Amino acid sequence: MPNRVVYFCDMMVVVKKYLWLLLVGIFFACNTGKKVALIPVNDFFKTQDRAIYRLSPDGKYLSYLKLQDKQQSLVVEDLETHQETKLSKLEERNISYYCWVSNDELIYYKDKDGGRFQTDLYIVSRDGKEERLLNANEKSKIRVLEDQLIDDKYLLVTSNKRDSTVFDVYRLNVRNGNMNVVAKNPGNFTNWLTDNNGKLRMAISSDGVDESFWYRENETKPFKKIITNNFKTTLFPVAFSESKPNTIYAISNVNRDKSALVEINCLTGKEANVLFANDTLNVVEAQYSKQRRKMDFVVYETWKKEKHYLDEEAKALFEKLDKLLPKTELRIIHRDRKEKRFVVRTFTDRSPGSYYLYFVDNNYLKKLSDLNSSIKEEEMCEMKPISYMSPDGFKINGYLTLPLHIEPKNLPVVVMPHNGPGQRNVWGYNADVQFLANRGYAVLQVNYRGSTGYGKEFYAAGFKEWGLKIQQDVDAGAQWLIDKKIADPKRIAIYGNGFGGFIAINSAITSPTLYRCAGSSSGVLNLFSYLKTIPPFLTSNLQMFYEIVGNPDKDSEYMRQASPVFHADKVKIPVFITQNPKDPRINGNDAVQFVKELKKLNLSVTYLEKEDNKSPVNREEARQKSYTALEVFLQDNLKKR
Amino acid sequence: MDSIKESGYRKNFSLIVTFIGLISALFVLSLFLAFNFSKKKIEGDFISAKTNVLEESIKPYNDFFLNKLPEISYYNGYLDSVTASKFVDTVLLKYPFVKKVVFYDAEIRNVRYEDNGLNVGDFSIGMKNVYQFGSYIPDDSVKIFGLNSIPNNTTLENFNELALKLYTFVQKLDTTKMPSQEDLFSNFTNIKPNRIDYFNIPRFEDLKIYKKMIREKLNSQPVYQQDMLSFELDPLKIKIKNNRPLLYQSVRIEPVTYDPLDTSSEYITGEITLGGPFSAYKLYFISSKSFVKKEILSYFFPIAALILVFYALLLLVAFLIYRNLNINHKMFRLQYDFLTNLTHEFKTPVSVIKIAGNNIKSATSLSEKEQKLYGKILDEEADKLNGLMNKLLAFTQIENKAIKLNQDEVDIVDFIESTIDAYQLKYPDFQLSYEVTDFKHFITDPVLLGSLFDNLVENAYKYSPPNQKQLHITARLIKDKVVLRFKDAGIGIPASEINNIFKKFYRIQNQYNQAGSVGLGLAFCKELVNFMKGEITVRSVVDKGTEFKIVLPYNS
Repeated sequence: MPNRVVYFCDMMVVVKKYLWLLLVGIFFACNTGKKVALIPVNDFFKTQDRAIYRLSPDGKYLSYLKLQDKQQSLVVEDLETHQETKLSKLEERNISYYCWVSNDELIYYKDKDGGRFQTDLYIVSRDGKEERLLNANEKSKIRVLEDQLIDDKYLLVTSNKRDSTVFDVYRLNVRNGNMNVVAKNPGNFTNWLTDNNGKLRMAISSDGVDESFWYRENETKPFKKIITNNFKTTLFPVAFSESKPNTIYAISNVNRDKSALVEINCLTGKEANVLFANDTLNVVEAQYSKQRRKMDFVVYETWKKEKHYLDEEAKALFEKLDKLLPKTELRIIHRDRKEKRFVVRTFTDRSPGSYYLYFVDNNYLKKLSDLNSSIKEEEMCEMKPISYMSPDGFKINGYLTLPLHIEPKNLPVVVMPHNGPGQRNVWGYNADVQFLANRGYAVLQVNYRGSTGYGKEFYAAGFKEWGLKIQQDVDAGAQWLIDKKIADPKRIAIYGNGFGGFIAINSAITSPTLYRCAGSSSGVLNLFSYLKTIPPFLTSNLQMFYEIVGNPDKDSEYMRQASPVFHADKVKIPVFITQNPKDPRINGNDAVQFVKELKKLNLSVTYLEKEDNKSPVNREEARQKSYTALEVFLQDNLKKR
Repeated sequence: MDSIKESGYRKNFSLIVTFIGLISALFVLSLFLAFNFSKKKIEGDFISAKTNVLEESIKPYNDFFLNKLPEISYYNGYLDSVTASKFVDTVLLKYPFVKKVVFYDAEIRNVRYEDNGLNVGDFSIGMKNVYQFGSYIPDDSVKIFGLNSIPNNTTLENFNELALKLYTFVQKLDTTKMPSQEDLFSNFTNIKPNRIDYFNIPRFEDLKIYKKMIREKLNSQPVYQQDMLSFELDPLKIKIKNNRPLLYQSVRIEPVTYDPLDTSSEYITGEITLGGPFSAYKLYFISSKSFVKKEILSYFFPIAALILVFYALLLLVAFLIYRNLNINHKMFRLQYDFLTNLTHEFKTPVSVIKIAGNNIKSATSLSEKEQKLYGKILDEEADKLNGLMNKLLAFTQIENKAIKLNQDEVDIVDFIESTIDAYQLKYPDFQLSYEVTDFKHFITDPVLLGSLFDNLVENAYKYSPPNQKQLHITARLIKDKVVLRFKDAGIGIPASEINNIFKKFYRIQNQYNQAGSVGLGLAFCKELVNFMKGEITVRSVVDKGTEFKIVLPYNS
């Protein structure tokens, strides 16, 4: 690589007559092959210039958000004539959500700068005329519940118009903006469900810890509580059954460790039928076809997501699609009402993928756009699933990404624990991982205990184990790499964001011999502060976090022990910390005080403050700055043996 | 000549004396200045080093203030009596100047506190429980306020004071701009004489809600936890770190008002006020004058030693310069002598030529005999002059390495015999003998070798009494060197002069060399031998004879 840099530098200076010489030089530089070109930081993170593809209900129009010259606009394309209409030019305002409500109309939110929430809802006809603001009240928010117009004028929405803390269900007349209450929220209803005819039939309430399901047979009857579950249990409805009355399809792990697709009798709240269940497979998604009125397939996730078809017709359809897009994962992003046209997204571990439009009738696939055209698949690294045993006998799964063209022996390694709680690493394109692998590091991602997707037991095993067994799981991963001779035991770094950063900084305190350096990006440094981010009036919600993270009244000693901020004096290895002090989810003082103490103790510490950046240019600059700092930090500590 | 010499000496000498006098004066002056400087420095130090002692002594307090206090904020208001007690234990152990800690478990809410808190409008800061921790506090009085009890006045007063500060800060808070850490820190701490109160600093998001709570009663009825810790400090427990024990005889902590009358003039005193919560106290420094004097001297001595070394060096340099001048003077004298001799040497042939010339000019006619006589005289004297000039020229050439060394084979026996023959013809009273062993031929420059032989043989004849003019030459091959010895029975060279004989223009003053010699002979020999890559040495006994030994390379 350095060769090539030299050649390019030369090119600036040397005049034309030496050009052929240079070309030979470049030819040789390229021919040495095997060397990996360093890809600029921002290339990994580039966002697509076309996003959120949606089909009109009749499938005749395709809409998407287009980013051009740093201005976003909503575009509708006629699939017959390929004529494009720019619906809106959004100056200083962004669309974060939009949808078709009929064949001729769309609605969208325009977000003001600085406002974090979707507040102003507009409706517009597909030719771009007649844009109207639907909600006039500045303070209240509207959320769309059902994206299809009822009687060609009503939209089912929820709004906190009555009380800013609760969302009631309203019927919004898109013609005149009138809103009528459909269902009043008793206070803790968090979600509402309509059946396939747009009737409001189910509601979900939550007190933060326990989740309850409420059902009514029709809209005239009151809601009745049918099921109550603890937050450790997963139960989420997929669709109302149209073949059996009072039955709902749901993904559930009630009374089992791994989630399954079941039918639930809504009158009793009991499980009526199991559609797909497996002791080792965890169901994460399920798709219902409104056209065929059947469940198409379930998606279970092991190291990656796989489909299990429940319907032969669906199987035939999707297998045909699979054949058109071999060696790649694909997801259906959107479809028309008749399910004749699909917006498909592909991806692999080495590519963020592309969007396609699929025509079912003639089995024709049309490419729409790439998610990130700067990424070349052959320059990216493979993400392989791995697993190992924790010291106390848990099977820990993870992913290992090895740098290209280097023998996997004695490599510098970056261990990347994921954020949490209740998250996991998934297989697919990951910009952070690819960035580090491109810089020559092997990257180990660990789904430590407490990660979701491996069953209830595994999830609960991580509760209040921050800094304890979770730490051991991550360390065991690093040790496993050493035992496999893949890692150079003297060149292992640990880096993460959020709770990943928490784990990393704790490693700097508890395992300074295993890791050479530790980095945290917007990391949690203090469990007390973390709990403080939950407003104190959400007492029940707080209870859930008390269970996962720790109860400051009872477990304060544990929380003190587990929080790195209290142990600055025990840090032994170089530390890298970035944060946005204005981030409402953290207490910026923690990191500042922590860094101050480290500096007083003459420890090597890199501290970087990130800023909120509204414009994409500044955002890219800021990203460049923080990732370059990370690169330098890792290089300083890992590149020399 | 003598007068020049004498005056030269006198001038040098007086210069040197002046020089030594001046540097001695400088030496005394610098010693004096150094002592004055030391005195000023130490007296200045007595005043300025006080801050240093203060800084060192107050360090644990600064550490406590800047590092330990913020740790309370890490708990984000979640401190309870057990955790607080553990926290306080670490404080008491590490910071002996903390006497007692009062822990206020407090809350912020929109509901009034009747008599255990501060209420401004709907905004209320009140205490739930209050505990005190310290070394001598019995277990039953740890909790000093709890549910349904009435707080004593000082407890409430202390609490309200900081609570009011918090309220004022929140009320003025600009919610669009994040307050700086320093701003937060100073508004959540209250520094009083011998006491520090500290409220944990909430997140900016929480502060925004506090501000909302001041403006209106929030429906959600939030209750926020705040922890206040009040540290009672004892300044007398601060450990004084006297890092200048030789300067300050004693350092004490005294009240600011301490000013004893009985401090006699035998003592020097100084003071510096302790900052922050200890502002009612000062560090009091006292040293006796003799104690300070000792410190001045210990500071002065190294400087004095340095000056002394410098002075000694200067003297040494002066001596060396004097010696060089002396040697140069001797050299000057030698050249002067040479010039005199040379003039004399030239004068004889020139005067003979002049007389001959005059005679020829004044004579009316010249007989053939006269013509031959004058011709012979002129020829001989011209040869003499020529020989003299050749000698000078050759010497200069050799000395400047301007000639090239020839390499010819020399038959040593033939060479010595021809030399002996020539000299016996010239000086019939000269007894010459020779001896050659082990070799017949060697390679050298015959012309240079001839000059060498001429000089040494001529010298042997010249420096021998008339009845003992004899010379024995030996030539021997030892290892790969040719060793030539010239042994005469002449007057010899005194031991004191033996080191000088090879010097240019040097002549031993005696009756033998009055007859025109320039003192170049032996110096010329030495130059020749050096040029031929050999060595020349001499051994001599006065009145017994001299032996010159020349070592030349055999096959060069």
